[in-house]
Order: sequence, then C-alpha cells, then structure tokens
Amino acid sequence: MDLKPFPTVRARRLAAWAALALGLALPLPARAGAPLDTARMVAILKGIDQRVRAVGDFTSLVYLESRERDQPDTAQEALVYRRDADDKLMILFTEPKETAGQGYLRIDDNLWYYDPTVGHWERRTDRERIAGTDSRREDFDHSDLADQYDPHYLGEARLGVYKVWHLRLTAKPGVDVDYPVVEFWVDEATGNDLKRQDFALSGRLMRTEYVPKWEKVYSPQKKGWVWFRAQINIYDEIDKANSTVVVVKSVDLSPLPENMFTKAWLESKSR
Amino acid sequence: MSLLVRLALRNLSANFLNVIIGSILFFGTLLFVVGGSLIGSVNRALSQGIIGSVAGDAQIYRAASQDKPALFDNWNLPDLDPIPDFAKVSAVAAADPDVAALVPMGVGNAQVYYGNTLDEALGRLRRAVDGRPRAPRAVVESLKAQVRGIVDVIAQDYSKLALVASAAAVDPRSKAYLRRAASPAFWAGFDAAPDAHLEFLENRVAPILPDADAVYLHYVGTDLDLFRRCFDRLRIVDGTAVPSGQRGMLLSKFAYESQFKLKTAYRLDQIHEALTEQGRHIKGDGELEDLVRQNRTQTREILLQLDPLSAAKAAAVIRAATGSSRRDLPGLLAEFLDTDDADFAARYRVFYKDLAPLLRLYRLRPGDTLTIGAYTKSGYRKEVNVKVYGTYEFKGLEKSDLAGALSLMDLITFRELYGYASAADRAETRSIEAQAGAVAPPRADAEAALFGGGGVYSAPSSRGLDAAQALKSLPRRAASGDRPGRVFTPAQMDSGVCLEAAVLFKPGVAFTPAMARLQRVLDRAGLGLKVEGWRAAAGAIGQFVLAADLILGVATAIIFVVALVILNNAVVMATLQRVREIGTLRAIGAQKGFVLALVLVETLALGLLCGTAGMLAGAGVVRLLHRVGVPASNTYLYFFFSGPRLRPDLSLGSLVGAFLVVVGVTGASALYPALMATRVAPVRAMASED
Repeated sequence: MDLKPFPTVRARRLAAWAALALGLALPLPARAGAPLDTARMVAILKGIDQRVRAVGDFTSLVYLESRERDQPDTAQEALVYRRDADDKLMILFTEPKETAGQGYLRIDDNLWYYDPTVGHWERRTDRERIAGTDSRREDFDHSDLADQYDPHYLGEARLGVYKVWHLRLTAKPGVDVDYPVVEFWVDEATGNDLKRQDFALSGRLMRTEYVPKWEKVYSPQKKGWVWFRAQINIYDEIDKANSTVVVVKSVDLSPLPENMFTKAWLESKSR
Repeated sequence: MSLLVRLALRNLSANFLNVIIGSILFFGTLLFVVGGSLIGSVNRALSQGIIGSVAGDAQIYRAASQDKPALFDNWNLPDLDPIPDFAKVSAVAAADPDVAALVPMGVGNAQVYYGNTLDEALGRLRRAVDGRPRAPRAVVESLKAQVRGIVDVIAQDYSKLALVASAAAVDPRSKAYLRRAASPAFWAGFDAAPDAHLEFLENRVAPILPDADAVYLHYVGTDLDLFRRCFDRLRIVDGTAVPSGQRGMLLSKFAYESQFKLKTAYRLDQIHEALTEQGRHIKGDGELEDLVRQNRTQTREILLQLDPLSAAKAAAVIRAATGSSRRDLPGLLAEFLDTDDADFAARYRVFYKDLAPLLRLYRLRPGDTLTIGAYTKSGYRKEVNVKVYGTYEFKGLEKSDLAGALSLMDLITFRELYGYASAADRAETRSIEAQAGAVAPPRADAEAALFGGGGVYSAPSSRGLDAAQALKSLPRRAASGDRPGRVFTPAQMDSGVCLEAAVLFKPGVAFTPAMARLQRVLDRAGLGLKVEGWRAAAGAIGQFVLAADLILGVATAIIFVVALVILNNAVVMATLQRVREIGTLRAIGAQKGFVLALVLVETLALGLLCGTAGMLAGAGVVRLLHRVGVPASNTYLYFFFSGPRLRPDLSLGSLVGAFLVVVGVTGASALYPALMATRVAPVRAMASED
C-alpha cells in the first residue's frame, strides 16, 4: 500500500505552486451576480476535468446501492480501476456472491461486459446501466467536460448552504456523449459540481445526480490532489421510484500492472 | 281448437305485415344459430389450444400475488409471488382424486445479446485460440479466413462511403484501422501475438460495423419430462427433446425461424408461403413487394458470411440461375433476390439447394449453447448458458405467434434466471448495506438533506484500499452449463421455486366442481394458493371468448328487442285492420278467450314457422362453413381457431336457444295486441258495416 495521505513537505510545496499556477491561469473570479462569460465557464469545466484526472493509475472500492420499483434493494461492491492517460477503465464486482466476478472493461470507445458464469464478453453501449443500477460508465470514470460540451450560463442559485453557478452544457457537434444536454450546478467556492441533470435530445429530463461528498487524495505522480466524487446520489427521472447511491469506500493510487486492462486479466480473477 | 288453428293459419298469408314480421324472425334466428355455433366452435378450439398447449385445465398460484397468471400475455409478465417449494403443493394436490397431473411452471423474459457479425466471428476465433486445449489448426485457420473475409467486406463498404456520404462521415482513423486489418502483414503476425491482434480487431475494427442486435425470448421454465407427457400436442421439429432430468432448452419453432434464421431466408420463406398457401402475388401486394425490396437491398448479412472460396461458388451459382454476366457478388446477389411472380419459385429452390449450404442459415443450431440473461427477482442481472436441444411446436398451432411465443426451459435453469432471493441472500445484502452506511434520502428532501448542513468537503482522504485483499474474496467459478449430462432427480426438480402450476384433471371430470374441490383441498392445506381456470389463466386471450359471447349476446338482445317493438306494432296494426272481422266473430258468439287465443296462436305460428326456417337456414350455413372452413387470415386467428381453418359445428344449444327466444319474443309481442283484440265489441262490426 503506497497511499500517502500526508504528503512530504517537498510534495506539498510543489502542489502549492501547481495550485497557484492554475489559479493564475484562470480568469479572475466573477463579480457576484454577474453572468459568467464563456471563457470563465470553460475554465470551470477544465478545472473539474483537471481535478478529477489521475496522472497515474487510480483504484477505488465502490459501493452501489440500487432501489427499484417492485424489486428488493440491491447492494454491490466493485473495484474500479482507472488509467486516465490511456482512457482505460475496469469495473470488477466483488460482492455479493451473486455478481462477484462480473465486470466492465472500457478500451477506447468500447465498453465490454463479462459474466464469469457464462464465460464470454459482450459489447455494451456507453449508456449501459452499470449492473442494472441508474449509474453510467462516466460516473466512475474521469471526465472530459470541457472537450465534450459547450457551456451556457443560466444564473446563480443555492443548494442548501452552497452558493452555486447554474450552467447548461450542450454537446459539441460530432461528439458522442451519453446525454446531449446537461445542466450543472457548480460550487462557486471550489468549482466542483454538486448537482447535474441529464436531458435527452427531446428535452426530457432523464436523471438527477447529486454529489454530496467530494474528497481528495494526494498524488505524487500528479504532484497535486486527485479529487473524486466520494458519494453520488442518482434519481431516475423516468421511473421516479428508482434511485441509486454510489459511495467510494477507499482509494489507492499505486501503479497497476501494465497488462491489467485486458479481457484476459479480468477473466483470470474469477476463473 | 282445430277451428282456431285453421283460422290462424289462414290469416298468416292474408296480411302483408306478416311477411315483414316473418322476415325479422327468420334473420334473427339465423343469426342466433350461426353466431352461437361460431362462437361455440371458437370457444372449443381456443380451449383446446390453451389447455392443450401450456395452461392445462387450471393454474395454481399464490393467492397473495398482485396479478393472476397470464400465460399468453407475452411480454407483460404478471406479478406472481413465488411458490417457495413446489414439492409441497404437488403432495397436497396428489390427494385430490380429480387431479391427473400438476406441472410446475414459471414464465419469464430474457435477452440474448448478439454482437455484430465481426464480434461474433472474433468471439469464435478467440475461443478457438484461447481455449484449453487450443482448437485444431485447421479450425483456427478457417475462422481466421472468415474474419479476413468480413474485414475485406467492411473495408470495401467503407471505401465506398466517401462516394455517398459527406467527408465528415468518413473517419480517417477507421480507414487506417481497416487498411491495417486487411493487410497481409497484419495476418502474418497474428499467430505470434493473437491476443494483441484480437484486441485490435475487437476494439478498433469491429465497432465500425453497426449490425449488432439482441433477441428477446419469452420462456416457460418447467419439468420438461412431465410437460411432454401432459401436453401431448407438443412435437419436436428440429433436434431432440432435452434428455430426461437434464438441463436444456427447446426453442419454439416460431421463435427459432423468426429470430434466429438468416433474415433473407426468413423473408424468402414468408414470400413462399404467401404465394403457395395464401394464393397471393408479389406484383401489387405492398407487403410482399417490401419483402423483395428488403432482400434486394440488405445483402450484407450474406456477404459477411462468405469467405473468398464460398463467395466465388455463390457467384457462379447466381450467374447460372440468372444468366447474368456481372462479376461483383453484391450486384449479383441483389439481382438474384430481386424476384417476381414468374421467377420466385425457381430462385427459392436455388437459394436452398445451392446457396444455403454455403451460409450459416441459423445463428444457432440444435446442440449449441445459448447465453441468455435477465434481471432476477433479487434485482441483479444474471446470465446463464443453456444448451438448446431443438425446436418444438404444438400440433395445430404451428403458425401461431401466440402459441409459438413460449420457448421451454428446464426448471433448474429457470430458477437460476429467476434468482429467488433466499434468506441468506437477503442477509448478505443487508450486511453489505450496513457496512457502507450510505445516505439515500427521499427524492423530495434530497437537496435539503444532502446540502442543508454543509459537509460536502472533508479532510484529505486517508481511506486506504487493499485491492488485493478485496480480490481474494472473489469466488472462482467455471462457466455454467459445463456439466453436461448431469441428471436431476424428480425430487430435485420438484424441490424449489416455481410461479404457478398447471392442473390437468382426469378425463371425464366436470370442470367447475373439480375446481371447487381442488380449491377446498388447497385451502385445507393452508398453503395460500388459489386455483384459476384456463380461461382466466390465459390472460387477455382467454377473455376473448367471453367478450365475443357477450358481444353476440348483446347484439342478439338488441335485435330481438327491436324485433319485439316492430313485431308488437305490426301485430297491433294487423289487429286494427281486423276489427271488423273480430267484431263479427264476437257478434256470432266468439268469447274473449277465443279472440285472445286466435291472435296469440296466429303470431306464435308465424314465429314458429319463420323461426324454424331461420334455424334450418342457419344450420345450413353452419354445415356449409364446416365443409368450406373459415380461413385464419392472421396468426391471432390461427390461435383462436387452433389451426389454419375453423370448421364450426352446429350447436344444439344454439338451436334450443333460438327456439326459446323465438317463442318468447313472438309470444311477448303478441300479448298486448291480443288483449286489445278482446276489447273489440260486436257493435264495432255493425258500425263498420254502416
């Protein structure tokens, strides 16, 4: 276990310089109540993408709880492995026994699903409901918001005790995203998103997602903090009885084996 | 009395109004007899279809269930509480002397995901390369040749894309991937590093082909041995029955043809059936012309299957059949499949004789293993491998998509897919939930609960993860379906969950009292079970006959009420026209009772005469329909008729009913005019004389 929650003095200094450099690179904070201009909004999105991006590998143990109409609650745990530099992601379910060994593997734009009880792979769409919950692949992955969406300013609002900017993101032409329109509520103090709503092209609201917990862990490779959404509450807006909670129980930034993001590796864990 | 009858009969032909009254009675009776016989025949055919195919005489299910069984409502699964242990129900029902057999069942829906054609071919190649032991070299080479053939077709298609689409639609990366995958150098290096080559093909090349799809299966899990014994209309069409006590599946022939067959071949079959069995013609028939158009334009499915050698053979076959001098196979195929009434039969023959052997006509063959998935009752997604032994159909219901919607699966596999959450499973879920301690406030309070008190940000995370430890808990398992030949005993089959059970009563047992007795037996056992007759258990389809009965009853009632009013008016008018005659009769000594009887007998005689004629004519129509048969013009009627034609039988009930209704209606309609006639005084006859 190489996790270093309390970085060295040198690393902290480097992080402080990096943060200062990023702060200087961003435009000055907007005047209270004044609309954000496009450059500022793009900077906010880039800030989110930069904060959650792990330069090296990122492993987390995630808990997923799903409630559905006329179904018993489900609770699952999964290991989520990320290698953001190569756009790779793997989700390997560890509990309960019923689903242990099932997994998803993202390679480029492909999302593969594996079930050890049948022993073969299926290509799934990027809109796959992960393990039948309301979560999607991008809830577990790093984000490319600034590259995928054009932001529009809708105003200021409050989320509980937090003052937030309300943005509307529309997918850039030719970019394939899960939802073409997303509304974003961004914490003015930190620039982290606290709420998002996903819309279909028709304008129909599909999901509402809250992020009531953000955490960060120091990354020596990044020489800065890697932020992660430690809890996500997702409410299905099509079937209002359905909801999902995703909780990151623990994280690890240790380097992963080079050949890990392969079908063979995932299969080997349960065969 | 004879005077009365003679007078009544004489008067029948003396008044034109009687012709109108008689016509109404004639057609009303005819409709009653024909309609009643038709409905009765559909009822009998439908009951044979439902009882004999899957429902049995009745269905047992948990009384606490939200819904009732609905076996033929296909994709709308009823919400039935599980019967935790079928063995207990079986033991209780065995004590009822009326019950011949009890067949456990559970209906469900599942999906079979198919990747695109290249995914499928790569999957086979990966299994051949990865398998332990590795497949023979010849098999690997053959699979590689097939993949290369598919890549070549995609590359050719993609090179044409620039001609028909905008520049933005052509992805230069895809073009480069295809160029690499089609190059001899790529294949020369395949054997040295198969994994890397397969990953490249799977992740870079296969996504370019957009023909992935999913097949949806509606199935009933059951004790397959018992099912075959109890539902003897079942006939194995392809392959074999599932060996006794083993796991396996029988696909319905209808689902097999419509969902697993090469689409071009299935469309050719549909056209062939329309031309040969339904007497239709392609020219001018929009549906058939559309099928031909689809075959002409959707040839890629065939092209992707052919390796270079097979493609050359196919081209030669088509050139010989069409006389075409074209060289390109896509063009030749389009020409070959652009059929009309004159050449269809010959090309259909050539397709099956010469082309089909070069193709995978079905995605799945008896003996293959099918991976099917579903969301279980415990909420998790579950996939299982199940061997498909063959296909089946119910005699007389071969072409019904209602009867053919259900594939048959063994009970053990059904239980895996159903995923009944045991107490241990529920405890495991609670334990995982408790460890996580996640906060999930109700939707309405979410914002206040999650953000009202702050606390979104905390100190840097110190929650370290030992992933290796988490991985250690993963169970090691082999893919399901890898224990061929395992035989389950009847006790193992019986002990476990089912959702319903089909009851078959012994021959000759009266249905309604038997249902009541069985319900009492189950109530005494205190298992919380309910019995529902086949009609209710069949779902909406079973209610069809009730609805048809009701519609016929209402229509007949309306006709006879209208007839009653018209008859009443007509007889009143006829009576008023005969005031002089009645007065004269009264003057020469006829009593009121005689006059009353005269009008009643006269009208009843008319009713009996025309009613009998209507009954005879109705019987004739029914006989004619029986001989000719009413054709089932669509698959729903095929099910209702329990075959391709309905041959209605004359129903004694319809005849008796018609007789009683005619007597009742004519008697009722004549009563008031008859009473009116008794009030005619003899002096009216004299007054008329003046």
